[in-house]
Amino acid sequence: MDELDTVIHAPARLRVVSTLAALAPAEEIAFPKLQQLLEMTAGNLSTHLRKLEDAGYVRVSKTHTGRKPVTYLALTRAGRRAFEDYTATLTALLKGAGT
Amino acid sequence: MTTPDHHDDGAPPPAGDPAFDPAETLRIIEESQQRARKGIEVDGRLLYLVWGLAWGIGYLVLWTSARDQGGPPTGPAFPIFGTLLIAAIVITIVHSVRRGSGTRGPSRRAGAMYGWSWMLGFLAYPFIIAGIARAGASEEVIALVANALACVVVGLMYLAGGTFFPDNRLFVLGLWILLTGGVATVAGMPGTYLVMAIAGGGGFLVMCGIEAVLTARRRRTAACEPGARDVVGQEPVDG
Repeated sequence: MDELDTVIHAPARLRVVSTLAALAPAEEIAFPKLQQLLEMTAGNLSTHLRKLEDAGYVRVSKTHTGRKPVTYLALTRAGRRAFEDYTATLTALLKGAGT
Repeated sequence: MTTPDHHDDGAPPPAGDPAFDPAETLRIIEESQQRARKGIEVDGRLLYLVWGLAWGIGYLVLWTSARDQGGPPTGPAFPIFGTLLIAAIVITIVHSVRRGSGTRGPSRRAGAMYGWSWMLGFLAYPFIIAGIARAGASEEVIALVANALACVVVGLMYLAGGTFFPDNRLFVLGLWILLTGGVATVAGMPGTYLVMAIAGGGGFLVMCGIEAVLTARRRRTAACEPGARDVVGQEPVDG
């Protein structure tokens, strides 16, 4: 049986990745909006995003609207694949448990 | 952006851990994704309801007034109709902009262009109406053309939206609005307004009902995913 990806496996990061995976592949979400969807503190979310970025699962782009800096986030291709593998493994685990 | 690591959840439970529940984990995934979609995508139920009420009530008011007068609607009929339409437009714009804010990318851009297309679609509208009025069209002809033209723009916009998003139900609605516009024009005044209220307003309300049923069904399917039965009745984990 496949090992579950430990980067995604932590509940808070799982919620972050699941939320990002709900975006269309080429879409990005601003940090405040992601924070609002997840109802996490900014510090907490930043920590998890850094771990995901370090793993190469999340792409961070910093930009400006007017003078205000805005951070946009999206899953990388590797991140999306990792998420798909993770859910596939979970489903397989469930099926295995059922027999 | 720097936060000490104690915010982290610590070591994740290994897959073999008895505390680890794949069904519960799948439920967390599904819940997060539903929440994300709810925060990002436009709620069709709300918009169809708003437009169903605006057309349904607005056109019924026009029809009642026109029928009683034996001519064009008078008194507060058009102001009521106009207020309802403006309210629906404002609600649509505020809701769409709010849901779309905080994301960027090709589909966000397409959505914004689609929104502007509605405005652009009606750009020539007042000039055409003024033009046929100046050319000597009667009040009845002006009313019929004004109504039919609006239906053509709305119907084509829905066909376009249904094609690009893609959304089959929206496409069918476009076809329905085009047919409604045709039938309403053939019906003639004041029947035009009654057709618009029932077929047009009613069409939106039917769409609202379909969206509501589909949303409820999607939610139920998510709750009944394999193994999720074990966790039914437990408190949601995230808040």
